[in-house]
This record gives sequence, C-alpha cells and structure tokens, in this order.
Amino acid sequence: MKQTPEMDNIQFAMRPGAICRDGFLGTDTRKLIDILIADDADVKRLGLSHARIAEKMRHFRNQGIKGLGEFISVPPHFEVRVDSVRGKLPCPFDHPGIIPKTNTTVKNLETGKEITYTDLNIHMIGAHGFYEGKGACFRLEPARLTSVLEIAQEE
Amino acid sequence: MNPVLLFLIGVGVVCGITTFLALLVTLAEAFIANYGEVKITINKEKEITVEGGKPLLTSLKEKQIFIPSACGGRGSCGLCKCKVIKGAGDFLPTELPWLSEDEKKEGIRLSCQLKVKTDFEIEIPEELFNVKQYETQVSSLRNLTHDIKEVTLELLEPDIITFKAGQFIQFEVPEYELSDEPVYRAYSVSSAPSDKGNVELEIRLVPNGICTTYVHKFLKEGDKVAINGPYGEFFLRDTNADIIFIAGGSGMAPIKAILLDMAEKGVSRKARYFFGARSKKDLFLTDKMKELENKLPDFRFIPALSQPKPEDRWEGASGLITDVVERNLESGENKEAYLCGSPGMIDACVKVLTKNGVLEEKIYYDKFG
Amino acid sequence: MSEKAGLFAIFFSAVFTQNILLTYYLGMCSFLAVSRQVKTSLGLGMAVVFVMTFTSGLNWLVFYHILEPLELQYLRFIVFIVVIAAFVQIVEMIIERASDALYAALGIFLPLITVNCAILGVSLFMIIREQGFWESVAYGFGSGVGWMLAILAMAGIRQKMARSRVPGGLEGAGITLVIAGIMALAFMGLSGVI
Repeated sequence: MKQTPEMDNIQFAMRPGAICRDGFLGTDTRKLIDILIADDADVKRLGLSHARIAEKMRHFRNQGIKGLGEFISVPPHFEVRVDSVRGKLPCPFDHPGIIPKTNTTVKNLETGKEITYTDLNIHMIGAHGFYEGKGACFRLEPARLTSVLEIAQEE
Repeated sequence: MNPVLLFLIGVGVVCGITTFLALLVTLAEAFIANYGEVKITINKEKEITVEGGKPLLTSLKEKQIFIPSACGGRGSCGLCKCKVIKGAGDFLPTELPWLSEDEKKEGIRLSCQLKVKTDFEIEIPEELFNVKQYETQVSSLRNLTHDIKEVTLELLEPDIITFKAGQFIQFEVPEYELSDEPVYRAYSVSSAPSDKGNVELEIRLVPNGICTTYVHKFLKEGDKVAINGPYGEFFLRDTNADIIFIAGGSGMAPIKAILLDMAEKGVSRKARYFFGARSKKDLFLTDKMKELENKLPDFRFIPALSQPKPEDRWEGASGLITDVVERNLESGENKEAYLCGSPGMIDACVKVLTKNGVLEEKIYYDKFG
Repeated sequence: MSEKAGLFAIFFSAVFTQNILLTYYLGMCSFLAVSRQVKTSLGLGMAVVFVMTFTSGLNWLVFYHILEPLELQYLRFIVFIVVIAAFVQIVEMIIERASDALYAALGIFLPLITVNCAILGVSLFMIIREQGFWESVAYGFGSGVGWMLAILAMAGIRQKMARSRVPGGLEGAGITLVIAGIMALAFMGLSGVI
C-alpha cells in the first residue's frame, strides 16, 4: 500500500548501514506500512497489545541488569542476561531520543526456548508496534516472543 | 488548417509554455531559495562566512568547528545545543522537545535543525575550539583478546593532538561494503597524552555493529581514517585523594591512558584498578599492568573473574566485580573513584562505593550509555 | 446577488454532493496512505485546498487566454499538469523561505500532491462544465474543502478503529476502502439537498 513520505524516510533509515550494520528490515520486501499493519493484526489476534508486550520485555531487562552481564534467575522459571556496549542509537522513527545499546537474552527454563532482544526493540515495539522485518537479525515474531516470555492475555 | 502547421503550433505552444514555466522555476530557485553567503560571529571574536540555507551544525563543521552530535544531525540526541544570540527565527517543532523554558529564554537552539538564512551571532564553550578533525593512518592493528582489537592511528594532518588522559575521540567509518554513508562512533584514547602524534584505541567487536565490523573485518594497516576530538569530561582530578578505578573489557582504554599519564608525571597517589572479566581468555595487557605496578609507587591491578573455567586454574579474585570491590576496599577517608562501563555496572558499583564511605560527588564515570 | 448565491451553490455542491473524492473517486492514493492520523491528514488537506484553488484559477486563465484562441484545447492535459507542477514547486520554495514552521506543517506534502489526480480532475471538470473564472475558483476551493473533509473524517474513523480487531486479510487498504464506500453512500444521501 502507498505510504506517506514520512514513512518512506523512516523505511530509508532502516536500511543496512544507516543505523546498524544489517538494518531493521532483513529480507522483507514489503513496504513498512504493510509490515506494521500485518504485525498489528497478529498481536490483536493473540489478544494482546504492543504496550503490554513491551512492558514484559522491559520487566525482564530490568531484572536481568542486576546480573552485571551474567545470567541471573528471574522467577518463576527464567534466566536472563543483560549486557551493554558503549553508545546509543537513534530510533529510525525520526523523533527525539537516543536509546542505549543493551541486549537482553531470556531463557525459559520450562520450555527450553530462548530469545534475545535489544533496548531499541523494546522501544520500537512499545511506541511504534514495529517488530522488525522478516529475516532481520533481531526480528521478533509476536507469537514466538509472547510464548517464550509467557505474556498472558489481557482480561 | 494545414495539419503540419497545426502540428507545429501545438508542439510549439507546449514547448513554449513548459520552457516559460521552467525558466520561472529556475529564477524562483535562484532568488527565493538561494540565501547567498551569511556571516556567523562566534563568541564575539571569531567571524566565519558560510553558504546560507544549511543547518548551523553543518555550516560550523565545514569550518572545522565541531559541536557534539551522536545522531548525525537528525534531531534525535539533543547534544548539539548552541546559544544563538542573534539571527534565529521561530522555534521549530523538532527543537521544542529538547528545550526547557529557561533554555528557550537564553536563546539555546538545536543546531542540527536550525537553518542559517541570515547573519548569526552565536556563543559556544571555549573547549570546543580545541576539537579538531584529524586525518590519520593506521600504523598497527593488534588483537588483545578474541573480540578486542588495539588500533594505533598515526596523525597526519594536523600531526599533533592535545588531550587529557580519559577523553575520547569520534571515529569516522567511511562508506564501505556494508554502509553507504559515513557514521561516527566514540572510542576512548588508551595512549598517553604525551604521545602527541599518535592515538591508540581499544575497539570491541559488537554484533551488528557498523563501526566494529568495519574495524575488525575491513580495516588494514596503512588505511586512512578520519577522527575528531577530543571530547569528554572523564579525566583524573588534580587532588591527592586515593584512586579507585573500575572498568572491564574495552573500558580499560581511558584507565590505561590515565595510568600512563600518572607514571610519566610522577603522581604518587595510591591507586587500585579492579578489572572485571568473565574468564581468563578475557584478560589482556596484564604485562602492561605489571609494568605500571613497578613504575608507580602505590598501584595494584586486581583482575576479577566472574566465571573462571577449570582449565584457567585461576587463583586471583573471583565473583561479580561489585563483590570483589567490596571485599577489597581498603580503609581511608579521602577517596575518588573513576568508573567506565555499562550503566548497570556503574550503578551497582556506585551503590557499593557509597555504602563504603566514598562520597557520591567524588565518583566520576564514563557511562557507555 | 444571484451570482454570489450561484458561487455559494457551486461551493456547497463541490463539498458535499459532488465530492471529488467520495462521489468521483479521485485522489484515492494519498487519501489511503495519509489518513491514518488526523494531524497529517489536516496538513495534507490544507495543502490540497490551497493547490486546488489556485491551480483551477491559473489553469482557467491558461485555457481561455492561450489554448482556446489558438484552437489547441486538446493540449489541456499536458499543459495543466505542467502548470500544476511549476506552481507547486514555486510555492514550496516560497513557504520554505518564509516560515520554517509552516513548511514543517504543510510544505512537505506539496510534492506528494503534484500528481494527485484530483487536482488535475478539478481543472478538467471546470472546462467540461464551461464555468466562468470565479465559478471555477469557487469550484476548486469547494472541491479542496470536500477532499479535506473526507480525509479528516476517514482519519478520525481509523484512529477510533485502532483498537478494533479487523478480519484477517482486510487489514490496511481493504478495510479503508470498505469505509470509504460506506462514507460515499452516506454522502449520496445529501444529493437531494441541492
């Protein structure tokens, strides 16, 4: 679907080498607006909201930071490791604010599955409903993300 | 009417109208969109002439005056604030989120968004005049660990740099295979300030990193690199307090610069450096640290491994860095601490230090974030 | 007095009963793309009103004073497009120079509407209807306002719909077109007014 010139610029900022080496769109050939609409529909079908998903992601990150770069237990049955490198990145969605380069890895000890996401992911999901393009290195499928982190439906 | 004549008149009219309009647009461009040359007066003394219509940040950069920026001029980081006394128009919607009411009254503007369309009068901190763009050449590349590279740059033009031990420079990654526009990343200088013709950096490979991938996979000896600096408020304060350094991984860079500087200047203050790492393979420059232990009157390097492997046969300190610091803090009232690392690590260490009697205003840090 | 009433009638019908977007379905692509948010829709709507009003006047002058005397009316398709493009280009420059704030609000939409078929459509329709100069300007202004009204209404509806669950496959363009169709039906009900 056709998108506004602003969204064209945002999509351009997501290309490889602009903000991060591999960009945010991976091998996805769709327009950004279509990616956002499709993921939005997926999240609604799971009975959740972007804000709730981002909140749970942030919870694990804040608990995991206490481990100072090592895995730390987070109840009920998770292990989380958070590490950072120097610098901050701007969000491709062209608004004020830069975001630290922090990676959070969450291991679900019950299912044995794990998932890794960045602070930028938490922001882009919570504020923009953006889960990155399919094939991108930090692409988060809403279904997989919510199953590993065990995000419950809203009442 | 004669068809050929009709054809010619038709084509003629379309061409005529199109040409006329194109001329009109070109003239409009020349007069309306062209701002000519404008003058910027800095700190009431320095005057520069620049091409009008560009953002203030860009115009200053073209004249070798570098206002700090972390986002490349997109209005995302808010670091490029500058006081504009005369010449600026109304506040732009992209500036307002960054400016407080007081800042607006003082005339502080976001220089990457504000376009210079008329003569300007601005005020910038004097230290920024020391920030220069340097053309350098890679004189050596050495692997310190499996993911940290030591990069030594020889300064070509200008060929000397003046900086304080602990400051950092911005490294310009040019267009290369994986990136189509220049990108800047900050790295602390790990060489001593006395070595004015060289700048040594410790760069750790980061997954999906534009600059670190360039440095680790593409950069070769002899390559030219553009850098600018120095920047930063992280340097040794001139007091006689005891010093506690805490930094792991590539955070060693500014600490090493400070220690080398201390050794050269004969600073005799008591100093302890707690270096946190995971296992033995993450330790590096241990012989350099031993050398400094010998040169300085009261310095000890204390590496702490959080997950030593059995084959490491580690006999030194082990556990989380905060625990090691707490166990080894010696008594003494007059202490300063210098920390370099991730915000999580720094916050945790600040808690431990203040709990053990170090005043918060005497803790200086170079937070990664 | 009757001429003024005539102008008002033209304006009113252009906004409601002969809405360029909902009745004639012109200008759909930017309508679908921009109508996600009320704020951007307002900016684009104002740009459309401005350009439609002035280009219908300009094109009227070009048609009746250059093309008609030379019996080149068939060239109007090319000539109108070129006039619209040049006008938009110059206006963008003027706005950028005059006010950065206005440029940020409105100027960035101008290139987007240069090839908006609604703008060309209005100029062509006024020729078909053989309207006078002021009638054409009123028609252009009314069509612009009608277009803006439609996009604002759509943006309002879509923003309210942000929390609704849309059936799979209809997300995005699909549901928007369905809504546009329902809105068009509603506007058809106004055709008895004039």
